[in-house]
Parts: sequence; C-alpha cells; structure tokens
Amino acid sequence: MNWGFLTDLLRISLHAMVPITLTAVGEIVGETAGLFNIGLEGIILISALAGALGAEAGGPMVGLLAGMLVGALISLIFSIINTYWKGDQMITGIGINLFAAGFVAFGLIRLGSPGFHSVTRTAQIAKIQTPIGSLSPMIFVALVVPFIIHWFLKRTRAGLILKAAGENPEAADVAGINVNLVRLLATTFGGILAGLGGAYMSIAWFGSVTKDISAGRGFIALATVVFSGLNPLLALLGGFIFGFFQSLATWIKTLPSKPIPWQFVEMLPYIVTLLVVAGAIGRVRFPKELGKPYKRE
Amino acid sequence: MSQGLTETVPQKEKLVRRTLTGFNPAIESLLAAAVGLIIGAILMLVWGYNPWKAYAALLQGAYGDAYGWASSAARGVPLILTALTFSICVRAGMFNIGAEGQVYMGAVAAVAVGYFVLPAGLHLIVGLIFAMIAGAIWSLGPAILRLTRGVNEVISTIMFNWIARFLTFYMVAFVLVDPLRGEKTISIPVSARFPVLIRGTDLSWSIFAAVAFAIVIYFVLWHTVTGYEVRAAGLNPSAARYGGIKSKRTMLMAFVLGGLGAGLAGATIVMGNPPTYAIISGMPQLMNAGFDGMAVAMVGRNHPIGIIFASLFFGGLTAGGRTMQFTAGVPLEMVRVVEGVIVLTMAIPELIRVFRVMRSSWDRLMSVLRRRSA
Amino acid sequence: MTDKDRINRNEPSRDYYLRAEGITKVYSNGTVALKEADLEIHRGEIIGLLGENGAGKTTFTKILSGLLPPTKGRVISPRGSVRFKSPREALSFGIGMVYQHFALVGTFNAAENVALSHDHPFSPIQLTATKKKLEQLMEESGLRVPLDVPVEKLAVGEQQRVEILKVLSRDVDLLILDEPTSVLTPLEVDELFALLRRLKDAGKSIILITHKLKEVGSVTDRVVVLRHGEMVGDVPTAQASTEQLAQLMVGKALDEEANAVELQDKGLPTAERERANVRTEQPVLEVSGLTVKGNTGEVAVDNLSFEVYGGEIFGVAGVEGNGQSELVEALTGLRSAEKGKASINGKNILGLDPREIYMLGVAHIPEDRWRLGLVLPFTLAENAILGVQRWDEFRGPMSFLRWGKVNQHVRELMKRFEIRATGPSAPAKSLSGGNQQKLIVGRELAKDPHIVVASQPTRGLDIGAAKYIRDLLVEMRNKGRAILLVSADLDEVLALSDRIAIMYEGKFMTIASPKDLDRETIGMLMGGAAVKEGAV
Repeated sequence: MNWGFLTDLLRISLHAMVPITLTAVGEIVGETAGLFNIGLEGIILISALAGALGAEAGGPMVGLLAGMLVGALISLIFSIINTYWKGDQMITGIGINLFAAGFVAFGLIRLGSPGFHSVTRTAQIAKIQTPIGSLSPMIFVALVVPFIIHWFLKRTRAGLILKAAGENPEAADVAGINVNLVRLLATTFGGILAGLGGAYMSIAWFGSVTKDISAGRGFIALATVVFSGLNPLLALLGGFIFGFFQSLATWIKTLPSKPIPWQFVEMLPYIVTLLVVAGAIGRVRFPKELGKPYKRE
Repeated sequence: MSQGLTETVPQKEKLVRRTLTGFNPAIESLLAAAVGLIIGAILMLVWGYNPWKAYAALLQGAYGDAYGWASSAARGVPLILTALTFSICVRAGMFNIGAEGQVYMGAVAAVAVGYFVLPAGLHLIVGLIFAMIAGAIWSLGPAILRLTRGVNEVISTIMFNWIARFLTFYMVAFVLVDPLRGEKTISIPVSARFPVLIRGTDLSWSIFAAVAFAIVIYFVLWHTVTGYEVRAAGLNPSAARYGGIKSKRTMLMAFVLGGLGAGLAGATIVMGNPPTYAIISGMPQLMNAGFDGMAVAMVGRNHPIGIIFASLFFGGLTAGGRTMQFTAGVPLEMVRVVEGVIVLTMAIPELIRVFRVMRSSWDRLMSVLRRRSA
Repeated sequence: MTDKDRINRNEPSRDYYLRAEGITKVYSNGTVALKEADLEIHRGEIIGLLGENGAGKTTFTKILSGLLPPTKGRVISPRGSVRFKSPREALSFGIGMVYQHFALVGTFNAAENVALSHDHPFSPIQLTATKKKLEQLMEESGLRVPLDVPVEKLAVGEQQRVEILKVLSRDVDLLILDEPTSVLTPLEVDELFALLRRLKDAGKSIILITHKLKEVGSVTDRVVVLRHGEMVGDVPTAQASTEQLAQLMVGKALDEEANAVELQDKGLPTAERERANVRTEQPVLEVSGLTVKGNTGEVAVDNLSFEVYGGEIFGVAGVEGNGQSELVEALTGLRSAEKGKASINGKNILGLDPREIYMLGVAHIPEDRWRLGLVLPFTLAENAILGVQRWDEFRGPMSFLRWGKVNQHVRELMKRFEIRATGPSAPAKSLSGGNQQKLIVGRELAKDPHIVVASQPTRGLDIGAAKYIRDLLVEMRNKGRAILLVSADLDEVLALSDRIAIMYEGKFMTIASPKDLDRETIGMLMGGAAVKEGAV
C-alpha cells in the first residue's frame, strides 16, 4: 500500500476543506438568524481577488483582512436590502453572483493578464511542514472555528437570540429583540468568514487568482450547510467530505486505468446531501422563518 | 366595529405584482436597467475608460445593424426559455433554480438523438421532443421531493444542477464522445440542425422555437383552466384551496412546464449553434444559461412578453459587449457587472418607492424655496 | 343595578396598584376601539374582564401591557404617571401579559424560552442557573412543565404554562391573561384557576379576559364589563348575577325606541317583518353528530346535530372562537371532520373537496374575504370564476377558458349587484371592501345554490353595503333557498334569522326562534350559562 498516496489525499482534502468549511459555518450563523444567502459564490470570488491585492500591498495578514472586509461589506449590503428594505433574498444573491463574476474578470484584465493573476511569493502564507506534508496554517483555523461557533450558538444568549430571530421573529420581537439588526449582524459575520475563505484560496492555497477560482464553492458551502443541519461541527465534517471527494476525483483523473469515472465520484457529496435533506438520513430542521422577511404587525 | 382583517400577501407575490408601486412594470425594469448602466459608467470612469465611447460601441454592436440584431437575438434565444422556466414556477409560488441542470440534460438528449437516422425536419423535431422530455424529467425530481418529503426546492434544484453537471461531463467524455475529436461530442447531423436564419450570423430558426414556446406558455397560463389554477395557487394558496384547486397538481404542472422549457433551451444551444453543433468538453456554451435566464425573468417581470424583450436586451448586452471590447477597449466582463447591478436593483421593491419619496421631497423642497424667494 | 355603575373617577381608593383613566383608542382608519375606559386595579385581586367580540378587551390590555399606545387617557401608579413604549418596559415595571397566541420559540425548551426574555445579550447564559430558578418557581406556583423538551412538542396546556412561567419569572405584579381557557381541558382549567388563586394570595393582581360567565363566577373577585369600547359595569363578583352580567355584555332592550334607533343606525330592519312562511318540507342541510377538531387538536365542534330547511335563514350566534369557523370549514370542504354526517339534499358532503361541494349546490361566502374569498392581485373576471373555473359554461375545448363568457358574466354581476369598478379587468384590490364583498356574494349567488353558507358576511362593511347584502340574503330566503348565517354581530343574526342557534364551546346551547328569546337569555347562553326553566 502506498502510504504516500494516502497522505497526499489527506493533505489535499484538508486544503480543499478550508474555504468550504469557513463559508459554511458563516452561512450557518446567517441562516440561523433567518437569512438565506445564495450570493456566497460571488463573495468568495471577490474576496479572493481582494485578498490577493491586499496581500501584495501589505503582506499576507493584510490580504486576509482585505478579504474579510470585502466579505463583510457585500454581506452588509445583502442584509440591509433584505431586512430593512424588505427585498428578495434570492434575487439579491443572484445579483451578487452576476456582479462578482463580471467584476473579478474585469479586475483581472486591468491587472494585466486576463483571467489569471499569480500572487507574488512573499504575499503568500507560508506553509508549515508536518508529517503529512506542508499544510497551510489556515487549515488549523478552519478546524477550530467550527468549535467556537458551535459553542457560541449553543451556550451564549446571543446564540439563543439568533435562533429566535430565525425561528419565531414575533416572539423575539415581543422579548424586545431587534430582529432586523440581529439578522444584519449575523449575515455580515457570515460574510466575514466567507471572505476569509476566499482570501485563503488566493494567498494560501492556489497562490493565484483566476476568474472562476470559486468554481461553485459558494454553492457547495450551501449544500454543506444543508448537510450539517445548521450544526457547525457537521459543517466541518461536510467540508472535509466535499474536499475529500474532490481530491479523490482529481487523483482518479491521473490514473492511467480508470476504475470509476471521476465524474461519479464528484457527484457523490451532492447525492448524499439530497438524501440527507429528503430525510433519508436523519431529519434536519431549518428555522421556520428562514428566507422570509420580518414585518411587525 | 370592524375586526381587523389581516392582509396576507405571500412573499413571492412581490415578484409577480403587475404594478409594484403604481409605476408601469415596464418603467420599473427600465429604471433598473438605467441604474445598472449608470453604475457601470461610474466604474468605467473610475478605471479610466470612456463610458460614452463604450456604450456607443455597445449599442452599435447590439442593435446597430442587421448583424448586430441577429447576434443579440441569437444570444437571447436560450434566455427566453430558461427565463420562462424560472417565471412559471415563480408564478406558481416556488423558486425553481434548476434550469441550469435541466438545460444540460436537454442538450445531452439532443446530442443523443443525433445518433438516430431520420429525415431532415423530423429529426429536428424528435430531437426537440427528447430534449424537452429530458428537461422535464430532471425537474420532476425536485418537484416530487417537495411534494412527498417537503424538501425545499431551492436546495434540491441546486443539488440536481450539480449532479447534472457531472453527469453531462461523463456523457460528453465517454458516451457521446466524438471518436475523432475527444474534446467534444459527436456533432449533430445536418438533418437535425436548426437552419440558419440569416446567412453569416449565428441566428437560427431556433428563435421561432423559443418564441413559439413563450406564446404557448402565455396561452397556457392566462387562457387555460390549468394555468389559471397555477397562478391562483401561487398568489394565494388559501383562496386557491377555497376555490377547489389542488396545489399538488399545480406545483407539478409548473415544474414540468418549466423543465420542458429548459430542456428546449439546451436543445437550441446545441442544435442551433454553428459551427460545431456539439457539446464541447467543459460546456462553455451551456454554462450559466440557467442563471442568466433568472436575471432575464426578473427584468421581464415574469411575463412571456416582458421576457422576450428582456432577453433581447440581455442578448444585446452580450453581443454588444464584444464590440465594446473591440472598439472601445472595455473588457466585455463589464457587461456582467452591469447585469449584476440591474438584478440587484430589481431586488429592492422599496427602491422605486425610495425614488418616489426622494422625488416628492425634492419637489417639496423646491417649491418651498421658490416660495421663499418669491 | 343599572348599567351606569362606574368607578368614581375622582377618588382613587386608598391603596391601588394601577389606575387607567379615560383610556381612548382610535385606530388610523377611524375605528373607535375604546372610549373613556377606566379601571382601578388593586393588589391581591383577580378581575374578570368581560365582553363580546370587538368590545375592546384585547385592545385595553394591550395598552396596559405596552404593546399599543392610547390615543387619549393615562395610566397612573401611586408614584405617578406611567407610559410604556414597549412590552419590555411594561415587563420591567411589573406588568406581564400571556397572549392568546403564545410568543414562544418552538425549537427552544422552556428554560431557553425564559432565558430569552431576560437581560443582557452577551452574557453566556447560565442555563443551569435559569433552570434552577425555574424549578424553584415551579415549586412555588405549582406549575409543572418538562424543562428539556422543545416547546413545540408540548401539549397546548403545557405551552401555556411555559408562557405563564416566563412572565412569572420576571416577578410581575400584574398578570394579564387573554382568554386562557380556550385551549385547555376542564382539568387544566381547574389547575390554572388554582394557580391564579395562589398568586392572588401572594399579593399579585390578575386580569382575566374572558367571555365565559362561569369562569367569572368561579375565580374572580371583581367583574368589569366592556361593551362597544365603553366600561359599562364594575361590580364585585359576589354581588353580580349571571343575568345582570349577560345584560351588561349584550345590552338591554329596555328602551324599545332606543333599540330601534340603534338597529336603524346599523341598517337592520326594525319592525317585526311580516315574513311569509316559505319553509320547505325537507331539509336541505342535515348534520348529525358532527365533531370537528381545531388547529391545536382540541374539539371545536362537539357532536352537533341540526337541520337547515329551504326558505329559511338559520343563524348561528355566539362569541367567536366557539367553533363557528370550524363548523363552516367542515361543511365547505376546508377542514376534515372527525365524526358525524352532513349532507346536502341527501348527498354526503364530508370529506369532499370544495369544488365537489360547490357542484352539489353549496355557495360559501367566507369570513375572511382577503385570505379566502379573493385573489387580490387577480382581476374581477379572474376572481369571478374562483371555485367555478371548471364549470362547462366557462371552460372550452382543451381546457381553454372562455374569457368572453366570463367577462359577460362579470358585467352582469356588476350590474345586478351594483359593483362599482372600472370593469372586468380591474384588479380586485382596487375595489372598496363593500364592492369586494358584493363581488364575492354575487359570484356565490350566481351559482344558483341550494344553500348559502354565509360567514360574517357584513364584517368590515359600511352601512349601505351591509344593508345591501342582508337584503340579498333575505331575497334568497324568500325564493326558497336555505341560508346558514354565521355572525358575531348579534343584532344582525337576530334581525335576519328565522331560527337561531347559540354556539358555545362547540355545542348549540339552544335552537329557537328569535321571537322567543330575550336578550338576557341570549347573553347568558353566549356566556355558557345554563338557562332558567321556562326561559325558552
């Protein structure tokens, strides 16, 4: 048995897990409070670019911060539109995705090479050497954050407030909670994590920005949220599963003889998620008022 | 003493209301388009481009001559169909964002029909039928999940999109692959292609198929009992129940109709697309047909007529974008940016109201000032 | 005792907890919900707040508990005037309200729901501390609820106990309960009342909103009666008889003339109309042993049996919430029945869907015209075929709709029923309430039905429109149709019906001719009191 292949698989899976887990955990916070952000894809994309630019300007930390800031900003706009302005969450999200796709492609062209931009070495986050190869320190961040958020949601009153805002906004209102503000803060926080995930991709993993670097990860994160049933720990697992199957598929692509078509391997996480949602595997329960704006009578 | 009646207006009704704030819906779409173009212009200025030149080139490329019109129309054809997919379901009170995957399946079916040997004309029709059925079947999945297990259709359609994507990759690489050129499927034989409508352009007879479908949907929704029931159930499920309408049936109907449209879109892309008439690995021509259709649906106010105009507009943006890039040096990705802003603007029903409020307070301020100075 | 008994406004008694003085509430649409209502609340007493639907009870308590501001008037405590801008402020002051529709988060357990209403947002909740406090509270109050189960899985009675615990945990001095017994079993009611007595002994003040005379008698110290927004009575319970309370609730027909004027103001026929007896031999609607469950699983219609004949108006009176809606829904295909039989001209209607029931000759004027009767964004034409869209006259080949026929039909309706609108393609929401209702009534009557089920048909309408619709119903009756009229407007039911049934807790207390019932009896029956011998 070639152990090297297994460690390779593990290493790539861990790297692939990061943006998905971070984004998914952030979206868990947002959905718990009641907003459904389908624009995550666009947020990841723009933060990847922002992160790269920030890192080149002031180093990797600045890059990460830039990504988080951009993610927060876009999510802030999203949440204002969908709370105080009673907009439509689906349309807003789709608009964000469209905008981001154009904006990033456009930005890359302005930077000189259309569709691609490699981040200078010094701007990238150095990897740590471990027994299984060089890992990005962000992986550890992605491993820890879900636990923190899980504790936050379960054990603090703020977590209760979030859940109340998503589940029964009238009851929360009666209890004196400002539902719109809570949703705004929750979704903006989700944007921060998604932005972090996006920046990670350009400055800590790929080392470059392409115009479709997000490659559907925003939607994969949404699927992971569904799979997790709004439990951050399961989002960690889900992120890893998605990452694992993606790396497995990539590996199969390199094999000379193909036992299973890689396409079916890549399909697997989505089928599993469908089964989970359909109740075949455990019942997941989403906040009753998820996706609906709150109007006080 | 009146007992306060509560007006329950379903959330999704917002998308479908004929007059949101008293303005003609067409005007609202135009306003949103204007906002998008203005913000695009601002961004262009920021980046050192000349917006006038850019928009002039855009207009020229999109509608300046017959070639432009043809290109715009050609780009718009699949958008008409995928927009209808989204809109039909919206009117039924649901969010079907599975057009993307349904398009892929339709395209695959169309290519598969390419293996048959049939006389010209008939071959094309058979291909269209197979494609539409493939799309409808693919949309039945989420529909059934929603009806039997209450699965939110937004989630399930996303999943189905991804499954379809990889399934298509597989079909393109292994099953339908062209033995001579591995990076694409077999080309659809001439007998199954849409004839080109205007020589020298890529506008084919597929436009008639798309417009015909739109007209059919119009009649179904507004002139048949089934369509009436679908719309009623989407606007007020309780009243629909009072009216003896079975919501399960209307839901299924809407999804199936939408799937037919998306499948047809997949077929038009493949069967009306010179010079290859095939699916290229990576499916660049098929990608985003579904999502762009949603943008078109919103701007078209979820009505077939509006959608036809909106798709011409969006098609024009894409076609003109090339000219814009060529002539004015503005990368055509700017078009996506503009589209994104337009959609965002449409997401805010309050925005138009905000405009009105701003306008009326501006007017009031002006009249106060005028009186002061008089 | 006259119904002019009021609190002497100028002299507060020596120690009171709270005084409401001159509370007036006028809504933005002009409705006067409360007119100069006064109330003095003492510590350690249970006040029963009695009144019909629309009397203003809920409005009054919402003002007390901070949910609504009064238009005029003030609330004072011994320390000075108090003004609450939100339920939270009222809660801090010591006033807590248990609403009819609970403000609980379903997925939370009891402890989490209680923790939600306590103070600082970022304190890591010591759930264990909250639990301890709750357990102590449960000991003291005798209320037991499982603390770890998500609230949505609890029985309704238990959920209510969580609501009460939630309010009690804030150390309130005044506890307001809005119709708390409507969702409880008799055993749970007894437990609740025992709790209230314990709280009273501990010095708390309690306001119990109810329309049930029996409850008032069993647990309150004082009864306050509201009618049409005015306080019409405030007496110690021991001194009040059910007859007197009933009179106060529904008003006395003491003065024939004054009553006639009042009726005329409402557009109702004054003199005893000479009505032809056109009642058919066979009943059109036969109901036997009908039992229907409500939304929360409790029995809403309890083993009901009655008949409605052609050529008569059968009125169902009673305070809302006693099963009337569920009865109508069961008869029109909107709700399934547990037990029993119901048939139109011999054909069963239970378990059928609305369209099939319409085909059997039933017309339904629903109680909520915006939610059930109309699709507001639709045009008049589109609304005019709601329920009959599949009838042959409107449906052409291949399921195409014959809009030509529909439009013609609508124009006829507009003419016949004097519906004011710009045309068949006007959106329904552009019509006034009265015209909307006329559209619905016209649509239903045009079906030429055997029986019209009319639920609150004149609610929210101006006098002219209301009169018009009532006349229509009488006209249908005279033509030999059966009318089942359900209305919370007692005057309307009395004036229109040939026979009247008073519904209370899912049963008909009596079925009689309006001529044979005096108002006092009616009031008592509406409040659930048993009737004296010989009164009916």
